Amino acid sequence: MTHIDQVPTPGAPLPVEIGVKAGAARTNPFARVFDELVRFAQSRSLFMLHYCTGCGAVELPPAMTSRFDMERLGIQPMVSPRQADILLITGYVSVKTLKRVILTYEQMNSPKYVIGICSCTVNGGMYWQSYATAKKLNDYMPVDIYIAGCMPRPEAVIEGLRGLIENIRTGRADAWKDYYRRYDYYLGNQQRLFGADWQTSTDVIAEARHYDLFGPATLGAHTALLEQHQRPLEALEMRIEIPELMRRRSRSDQDGTAQ
Amino acid sequence: MTNELTTWLDTLLAELDGIEVRRTSRRRLRVEVASDALPALLELLRGRASFVHLSAISCVDWIDAGQFELVYHCWSYEIQSLVSVHTRIPREPGVYISVYDIYTPAAFFERDIHEMFGVWFEGSPDLSRFILTEWDGPPPMRKDFDSEAWVNQHFGWQDYHPDWLKDLEARGGGIAVPPNEQRFSRRTVDET
Ligand code: SF4
Repeated sequence: MTHIDQVPTPGAPLPVEIGVKAGAARTNPFARVFDELVRFAQSRSLFMLHYCTGCGAVELPPAMTSRFDMERLGIQPMVSPRQADILLITGYVSVKTLKRVILTYEQMNSPKYVIGICSCTVNGGMYWQSYATAKKLNDYMPVDIYIAGCMPRPEAVIEGLRGLIENIRTGRADAWKDYYRRYDYYLGNQQRLFGADWQTSTDVIAEARHYDLFGPATLGAHTALLEQHQRPLEALEMRIEIPELMRRRSRSDQDGTAQ
Repeated sequence: MTNELTTWLDTLLAELDGIEVRRTSRRRLRVEVASDALPALLELLRGRASFVHLSAISCVDWIDAGQFELVYHCWSYEIQSLVSVHTRIPREPGVYISVYDIYTPAAFFERDIHEMFGVWFEGSPDLSRFILTEWDGPPPMRKDFDSEAWVNQHFGWQDYHPDWLKDLEARGGGIAVPPNEQRFSRRTVDET
């Protein structure tokens, strides 16, 4: 691992632009109607991947089950990042976990939303002095909503989720775009912790181009550093090696030739 | 039988030179021993006195004395009691001998102590990174490691000072410690 001095310091975060600009010119009047419909549908069927990193996760079971019942808001737990809309980080994120959280986040399909539950995700909480926990989650990935508290009650969790739903419905929940627009900034913060040779298996820059979110701040000193250290991504070779299956297959092959 | 063993152990330990024994409670014995005699004592405890379970090795950094204190906690299922064997080694160079050959689980404890305190255990099977796989700083549990400085060098802080809080403060309320006096929220801002 490289030392921190070898990683350039990320600049001050640019002001985040959140939300559609009021009165953004749209030529097709029906496009907006359709957008609204889509957003409404999106806000009412959210699949949530809860990455239970810290003690705040304790408040999730009551929030999910019959007492407070998240599902009446259309939110359901989901098992894989590829199919999830919300990434819920519940509590302190140790540096080691942060790596996995970033990998998980990058695997999710856009649009994706991040909710940081607990004071620990906001500013390190009671672990502010600890060398092992990351402090500001939004240094490493854009966060849509923080729910502060140590730990927040299920009412607060539900309230936060309703806030997110409202933001999605009104088109203000587009923090995920920021990851593509300012990838260099986020990557820089990640490199400060994980070293200059930090690399994930997602080509974020290509994704930024795909979503048409490639901007002037997507590339920078840190992506240049990434390019220097990057090992090319390769598809995994698919191979099925189940002995029983192979034996049966070769037997049926022989039978086939015999007939 | 149990009592016999206890008596026997007490007598035995009292006979040995250079160790200091104190019975801290009915089930706990505190033994202080010189670092070169410790493996022999452990061998005796394990082999002869049924202390087959090494439940932990802990380490204390006595920075002013320039020493590390290693504590070996040995438990006996037969006499149902715990012997903690204390020993001190010089902080520099911080090298000690592994007890892996006496207690196999010592490998994990030694690996952990090596990671957290930087003590090198001669003869331990694997002292590679254990829990802090992303770590590149000095051993973090040493007393001379400044966690706060490290944190300030590696992390940024969120400034949380919303309007409603300002309103409260204008009326004499607000959170008890003003934000610019909080150690954590403005420290980096102040220094730069
Ligand atoms: S904010 Fe409190 S409850 Fe939440 S993870 Fe931190 S310490 Fe645990």
